[in-house]
Amino acid sequence: MLTFTLRRIASGVGLLIVISALAYTLLFFSSSSIARNILGDQATPEQIALKEAELGLDQPLLVRYLGWVGSALQGDLGRSWFNGEPVTETIQSRLPVTLVLMIVSIVLVAVIAAVLGVLAAVRRGWVDQTVQVGAVIGDAIPGFVLAIFLVTIFAVNLGWFPAVATIRPGAGAEAWIVSLTLPVIAIVVNYVTSSAQQIRSAVIKELEKDYVRTLRSRGLSEREIVLRNVLRSAAPAGLTVLSLQFIGLLGGVIILEQVFAIPGIGALAVNATVLSDIPLVMGVVIITVVIVMIVNLLVDIAQGALNPKVRLS
Amino acid sequence: MKSTTKLIGALAAGALLLSGCSAGGSDAGAGTSDGGDDATRGGTLTLGQLGDVVSWDPSQAHVGHQFVPYQLVYDTLVLREPDGELSPMLATEWSYNDDRTVLTLELRDDVEFSDGEPFDAEAVVANFEHFKAGNGRQAVQLTQYESATAVDEDTVEITLAQPDPAFEFYLSQAAGLMASPAAIEAGTLETDPVGTGPYLYDADSSVRDSQSVFTAKEDYWNPDLQKFDTVELRILEDLSARANAIVSGQVDWTTLDARTADQAEGAGMEIIPDYQVDWTGVTFFDRDGTINPALADARVRQAINYAVDRETLLEQLQLGRGTATSQVFGPESGAFVEDLEDYYTYDPDMARELLADAGYEDGLEITLPVIDGFATQITAIAQQLSEVGITVNQVSAVPADYVADAVQGKFEAFNFNLFQGEAWVAVNQIIAPTATYNPFQTTAPELEELIAVVQEGGEDSEAAAQDINRYVTENAWFLPLYRIDQISVYDPEAITVEAQIQSAMPSIYNFAPAE
Repeated sequence: MLTFTLRRIASGVGLLIVISALAYTLLFFSSSSIARNILGDQATPEQIALKEAELGLDQPLLVRYLGWVGSALQGDLGRSWFNGEPVTETIQSRLPVTLVLMIVSIVLVAVIAAVLGVLAAVRRGWVDQTVQVGAVIGDAIPGFVLAIFLVTIFAVNLGWFPAVATIRPGAGAEAWIVSLTLPVIAIVVNYVTSSAQQIRSAVIKELEKDYVRTLRSRGLSEREIVLRNVLRSAAPAGLTVLSLQFIGLLGGVIILEQVFAIPGIGALAVNATVLSDIPLVMGVVIITVVIVMIVNLLVDIAQGALNPKVRLS
Repeated sequence: MKSTTKLIGALAAGALLLSGCSAGGSDAGAGTSDGGDDATRGGTLTLGQLGDVVSWDPSQAHVGHQFVPYQLVYDTLVLREPDGELSPMLATEWSYNDDRTVLTLELRDDVEFSDGEPFDAEAVVANFEHFKAGNGRQAVQLTQYESATAVDEDTVEITLAQPDPAFEFYLSQAAGLMASPAAIEAGTLETDPVGTGPYLYDADSSVRDSQSVFTAKEDYWNPDLQKFDTVELRILEDLSARANAIVSGQVDWTTLDARTADQAEGAGMEIIPDYQVDWTGVTFFDRDGTINPALADARVRQAINYAVDRETLLEQLQLGRGTATSQVFGPESGAFVEDLEDYYTYDPDMARELLADAGYEDGLEITLPVIDGFATQITAIAQQLSEVGITVNQVSAVPADYVADAVQGKFEAFNFNLFQGEAWVAVNQIIAPTATYNPFQTTAPELEELIAVVQEGGEDSEAAAQDINRYVTENAWFLPLYRIDQISVYDPEAITVEAQIQSAMPSIYNFAPAE
């Protein structure tokens, strides 16, 4: 298990290097006049040249990238080109908001999807049909449409929740709860049906296997069979879906954060990219990749724990 | 592992593709007002802002929406009233010498910066030098500035290279913001503003691009300008977030568009009436035909002006919230000419005739860069122009580079919302050979003569400004469509707010708690 984990981490680091280099190169070509955008439309050519030198834009791309890697390795992601704030500080203040939103959502999705999926597989009939239809609808409605719908009803018309987030540094739990409830509901509704669908299929597939028949013939109750054996075998499929959804959420929260004005990493990413604030964009890219790697690693470890065969492959 | 790799790749690519997101929109500005009579203050003012300030350094201050945050923490030398009149603020009085090249300011002697530094003549000099060196978004405000000298502790003499009729106005704007010289020296203003203003920035409660919190400063020298205990700026870039926030009572004021305005009005919000700041339309940069020879012919530019149906565009794009016009100067600018309002009527036949005269009876092509915020408008214009044989090539532009590329002369023309300020300000922004939005420096001798008269600022200045307006309208330097109604929405139960002439957002001093 340890070698397996170490191997995974090593390949992750390699991937991080590749992605950071790729991102850095792409960003380099994304904006032609960064110095001018920083200084404003009145800037003189001399001023622009000076700024470019200051930002190292006159250096070859490789030199700049290596310089960035050098400081990044020491934990310094540089300062925003536009407002001078340290990138790590900015990310530290924004990341928890996004992570809480994502983790709470995905845990709820996991629990609800597992219950629905197993019920649909075991009971079939109307439960099954509802889950199936729900999966289609849940997939079809974009999260932000749902979010706008929820805001209009529960925030604007009924006033139960704030229409835009009230989270701020040092805000109490209440601010977090009322601010994140609607976005979490939007995510859960959007994601739960398709995961339930996956879990349902996995459970059904397991139920058709020979060992289930054997267990049944030994007189074990259906409930015991499902909870002890089938679920364990079907879990890897569910975990895979959930990890994919969690990673997909990293992109999905960007729009939700805009709609609810949540001070998370998504809104930051949008602003930074619009401005071509390269240090900040790189910071967001790196942290995003690291999150993806951690999620994948955790899922792999969980899979390994559930099914020893995975460790060998 | 393979699928993981793919996923991460897709994700990173997705993050990068976000650079395609748009920031388009309007820029406008001016601002500052009177304090009213009541010195009582109280409550919290929450404003739904379009975007965060880029830097708290006043040398990087902008106009309109982006100027108001600076007013919270910094005072300006001169106060601009809601009607545009200039009043004393940190400067108690000011006067020019005879040839209007030396401006003498008398300063208040009872004001301190929030770090305890005294506000005095040396501080003013330091700020001018800093603003000049900072070369920020409004660097144009100190174009004519040469030097400043502290005559004594509370007198400053400013020397100008040439007369600048807008200079006093600029002292109520970005160039007039005063920061602590110690903080300028320390280079910390970007993230830590230190001024003499009515409020203090609460960095610990603020989150960049999300919210900025300010608390009233005790013993502020002018309590009339300090009407709230706390001011919060909520950064709500998303239009529907702003609409939801004002309708649900989370912000007291925000700015909306024509469509969301109806929803807000339905919910009991009020819109500041008769409030126009920007004109929208196309600026023909390439009037000498460097990129597109056709645009060098005034008849072609006039034909384009006759080929668009302004009233229909206003109705469709803006739900009628605006005023169709053929001129780029606003009613309060001093350069406004009533009969130029409908100088170009919708007349496709006239357009075709002019095109034929210019030798383009078989049609011609113009190229317009497109960013999200203006895509619909450009498509509508293109559709109307196609009916007289003009093909508009729509080329996608990078939103972050749109203005920068425009002012560097990379486009032959572009569509934008532009500010309608004082005549001299507008001349410097869009008409003079040195103007920001005249990248090919097109000009004409008669025009330069008129500009020189306006710059002298004498009795003939207003007539000359109107002649400039006539010249650029008749020669079709622009394709103005309409002046846009500024949708400045507030909750009348919570606050009162007064419009600020020529500013996209009312000055912070114009907000007061509801009676």
